[in-house]
Amino acid sequence: MLTSLYLDRASAIHRLHPVVKLFGLFVVFWSVFWVDRPLALVPIAVLLILAAQVAGAWPNFYAFRWFLILMIPPTMIEWMAVYRQGPPLIDFWFIHLSGAALRYGFGKGLRLAELLAASILFLSTTTVEDFSQSLINLRIPYRVAFAMSLAFRLVPLFMDSALTVVQAQRLRGYDFDQGNVFERLRRYVPAMIPVFMGALRRVNNMAMALEARGFGAGVRPTNLSAYSMTRRDVVACALLIVIGTVYFLLYLYGYGAVTP
Amino acid sequence: MNTEKLSAHPMAIRGVIPQGSRAPHRPATAPPSAAPRRAHELRLMWRNTRMVVLSVLTAALYAAVLVPFKVVPLIPGVTELRPGNAIPVVCSFLFGPAAAWGSAIGNMIGDFFGGVGPGDVFGFFANLAYGYIPYKVWTIVAAPDQSPVALTPGTLARYVLAALAASMLCADLVGWGDNLLALRPFWVLGNIIIMNNMVAAIVLAPLLLAAIYPRVRRAHLLFTDLMPEIEASARPRRLVGFAMLLGGEVTAWLAGNLVSAGYWRPALVPAAFNVAPYTRAVALTVSPAIVIAIIGMLLL
Repeated sequence: MLTSLYLDRASAIHRLHPVVKLFGLFVVFWSVFWVDRPLALVPIAVLLILAAQVAGAWPNFYAFRWFLILMIPPTMIEWMAVYRQGPPLIDFWFIHLSGAALRYGFGKGLRLAELLAASILFLSTTTVEDFSQSLINLRIPYRVAFAMSLAFRLVPLFMDSALTVVQAQRLRGYDFDQGNVFERLRRYVPAMIPVFMGALRRVNNMAMALEARGFGAGVRPTNLSAYSMTRRDVVACALLIVIGTVYFLLYLYGYGAVTP
Repeated sequence: MNTEKLSAHPMAIRGVIPQGSRAPHRPATAPPSAAPRRAHELRLMWRNTRMVVLSVLTAALYAAVLVPFKVVPLIPGVTELRPGNAIPVVCSFLFGPAAAWGSAIGNMIGDFFGGVGPGDVFGFFANLAYGYIPYKVWTIVAAPDQSPVALTPGTLARYVLAALAASMLCADLVGWGDNLLALRPFWVLGNIIIMNNMVAAIVLAPLLLAAIYPRVRRAHLLFTDLMPEIEASARPRRLVGFAMLLGGEVTAWLAGNLVSAGYWRPALVPAAFNVAPYTRAVALTVSPAIVIAIIGMLLL
């Protein structure tokens, strides 16, 4: 079971300041937001492919390959259903399919796939600690950022204990695969209860451990990893601003829109 | 040195602070009397370390059930089978505001395993509402100290109402947010999320709740035990909040569906916005109802 997408590499993207990486993710979101035309989305796709190559993130892209491909058709259909403009190729009952609708739907699908690709790239190059540090840098309260990073750490632990409980109950002859979907879901309840109770047993100990380490003592905590902005970060920021501006200009001058 | 002040500090009582050192400005777990009276419980809970831990556990449990099912998408890129959606409802009745934050954080962690996106910001707040509303609605529709696990028709009806109120606002917020960002039409997520949430809340959550609630109560880990300083606001105010929540979320859901599917073109929306794919028309029509629902939620 995949418990983290982070890939430990020494690439230039890995070495960027976490806030810059978060800004990069935002710039991709911002850029694709302004355009619907599939052709206008191609440069972002090329940039993402280049970045994946630099970051050595292909194993994660390979793991998500079917997801990246299969998410496009449903998104196309959703948007084609409501985009009722342009001369129709098929016009039957509620179906109004035009060339513009096809382009519009494909653009939307491509946009979602690019968003997913950007997030895979971000998660491949950013650790949980980097991410929570970037949240703190962005003035998210320390306790919230801490809760998030601690929860991240506990997820594999809980998944592991759930798996142990499932295996133990299978050994005792309990069949999790009997019945329809709802029946199967209900069959997992006896496996979830011990995990839940096991988690609750940790509450007091964890709270005491945190308080013993001065959690919430009002002093700004220090960090094991030190992050500073370097020239590389400044250059990356400048590039990202240029990309974001270009895409906004595409929208402003009407090059990003699909015309019926 | 002010020894009186030092000895009064809870960490000093536990022997955490060595003799002679200065007491920190703020205690790790503020005593009830030190908490500001007017602070909302969603803010107040961050002062209580046990509540922080419970929010962490809720988040981790939620994510731990969400993540394995990321590989079973019902519609790729739209939604997957989410049995984990039972966790926020169960935890809401147990841990109150900690469950609200826990489900918001847990959903975000779950998204990290399947790709994050701009819509996840709305997902964060939608799940906050999904974890927050059930226990708040329960305090209005049920008698004081009534357990949500009793198997009577009345209790079940109240439980379904609480779960439906939470699911609908969650669906409205995500559908509206993704529509605002032009990622997906409202009618897709606005309906799938309600269905997904309600299946988990009706099929799984009652079973989990029946097994866990009595044990948590015996262990004095219910949020009412951990945060006795939480005071319910006046009943008229809560009733107004409940009415605003229900009115706002039902209006948002109906308007979002009708406008995004092209069945209703509101006269108040400028003609330039009333064209397919209606993303701006949905944004204009649904936003006021969402605002009303959120105000109602905060008044509960």
